[in-house]
Amino acid sequence: MDALKILLDGANRNRTLFVLLSAFALFPIYTGIADLPFWNDLAMRIMLLGMAAMGLNLVLGYGGMVSFGHAAFVGVGAYCVGISQYYGLYNGWIHIMMALGACGALGLVIGYLSLRTSGIYFIMITLAFAQMLFFLFVSLEQFGGDDGMSIDRAEFIIIDLWEPLRLYYLIWAALTLSSILLMFIVRSRFGVVLQAIKGNESRVEAMGLAPLPFKITGYVISAMICGLAGALFASWQEYVSPDIMHWTRSGELMIIIILGGLGTLSGPLLGAVAFLLLEEFLPELMHFVAPNYAENWMIIFGPILIAVVLFARGGLLGLVRQLSGGRQ
Amino acid sequence: MNELVLQLEGLEKSFGALRATCDVSLDVEHGEIHALIGPNGAGKTTLVRQIYGSETSDAGVVKLRGEVMNGLTVPQRVARGIGRSFQISNVLMDFTVLQNAILAEQARLGESFRFFRPAFDDQALIDGASVMLDRVGLGDRAATPVADLAHGERRLLELALALAAEPALLLLDEPMAGAGSEETKHMIEIIGGLKSRAGILLIEHDMDAVFQLADRVTVLVEGGVIASGPPDSISADSAVREAYLGSEEHA
Repeated sequence: MDALKILLDGANRNRTLFVLLSAFALFPIYTGIADLPFWNDLAMRIMLLGMAAMGLNLVLGYGGMVSFGHAAFVGVGAYCVGISQYYGLYNGWIHIMMALGACGALGLVIGYLSLRTSGIYFIMITLAFAQMLFFLFVSLEQFGGDDGMSIDRAEFIIIDLWEPLRLYYLIWAALTLSSILLMFIVRSRFGVVLQAIKGNESRVEAMGLAPLPFKITGYVISAMICGLAGALFASWQEYVSPDIMHWTRSGELMIIIILGGLGTLSGPLLGAVAFLLLEEFLPELMHFVAPNYAENWMIIFGPILIAVVLFARGGLLGLVRQLSGGRQ
Repeated sequence: MNELVLQLEGLEKSFGALRATCDVSLDVEHGEIHALIGPNGAGKTTLVRQIYGSETSDAGVVKLRGEVMNGLTVPQRVARGIGRSFQISNVLMDFTVLQNAILAEQARLGESFRFFRPAFDDQALIDGASVMLDRVGLGDRAATPVADLAHGERRLLELALALAAEPALLLLDEPMAGAGSEETKHMIEIIGGLKSRAGILLIEHDMDAVFQLADRVTVLVEGGVIASGPPDSISADSAVREAYLGSEEHA
């Protein structure tokens, strides 16, 4: 009962998030009627990137730890699926368990080693770990090396019956669960300490709390959410290559968070919607206006990002709040 | 004699060629205010940092209620009973006054690894936090964001947070810094009222405040103690007058 009360209260405070989640839940009905299956695919990508960005946002936005290597966790999550299948293990639930376990353990190690530093050093160390993992997978010829490996859609017992949409709703459920989990976490005592560390680490110490265990725990949770997104990403893409953990992917996650609203629950998801829609339609628009430059859609995207950072305090969510008069 | 809360024995600290702390020994009893004065650059804040644990000592011993603190981290020392207010207000600017106190309350209870219930709605935490704020008279400012507080109120919040864990030793690093005369009066009253709760080591430039509050005064010049005793003997001490008080009279 208590949990339900907290959940409803949280939902009320984070309406944008729950509006988005509901929209994603209903979206396939629309695409079904309008016969636009491609759009389901785009929606799944949005949800997956949004989930990974949400995971990163726990450390980046709430904890103030600028981790520049989170794509590595997405990649490891994805490779958990690929490598399991290589060895004949096709149960999707086990893939997810493995991704959570591997990313949790990896997050613990990387967090333990890198969180003793801060600022620019922390950024560089997390980037270095991510690059190490990137080149590790590039060098693993057995698992496709540079070219990656193809993946069969995993078998998810129980929900196998829903053939065309099973993956869509599995991703939606994972996103919703991650969102709710994060909603509880950021408002809990642990979450409050994490946000206090971001604001003023020496004050937290002065209260008698050692910041490191909180930071590491946040880092592990964040890595696990990214790993979950990665495992589902592999199933969705039916393919995994080291490209998924390239450092530019880490940058993309950060851009999504900043675009949507740093340190907010719905910001990363909103950012993912905006980012992927722009990525989808800017090239088409460019193709219309200047056909030879369609590949260079970033020329338009860059200024949009700068404008959002400069003029919309708190990203797109900040804009939504302003327009709706303070409500999230 | 009351219980000795703090004992410093032969404390040393050098930064390169600069000896910031030279062979400092002093103690603080429960229920007393021991003021530490000295000109700028005398090493007062370095000494506080050595006691607090944010600076390691080159030599010497810091004891809290007889227990050696050397080698312990800041959070460990805080947990054992050292509270500190900072020279520059060190509060959580993004939080409200009450939220600052709630965080202090949950830290005091030692129950921060909890992931389920919202902390800011937790009635038990709110109650404890309110008591903390009432102690310094900030109860009616609870809902105010810290960024909107007046300077003097921020100093009071700083003090409330230092007191949160009910420390045996309270390190007050220039609590009156930047405060107006009214605020200073209020602060003197509050600090005076804290004597029964803890031993207090007070660093302060405001001599009126020091002589009103202190039971004992130690004068630090260039890292070393040049005099220590009751306020009357300190103000009469010729070495002190020359090194410190005298120079102020000229100015």
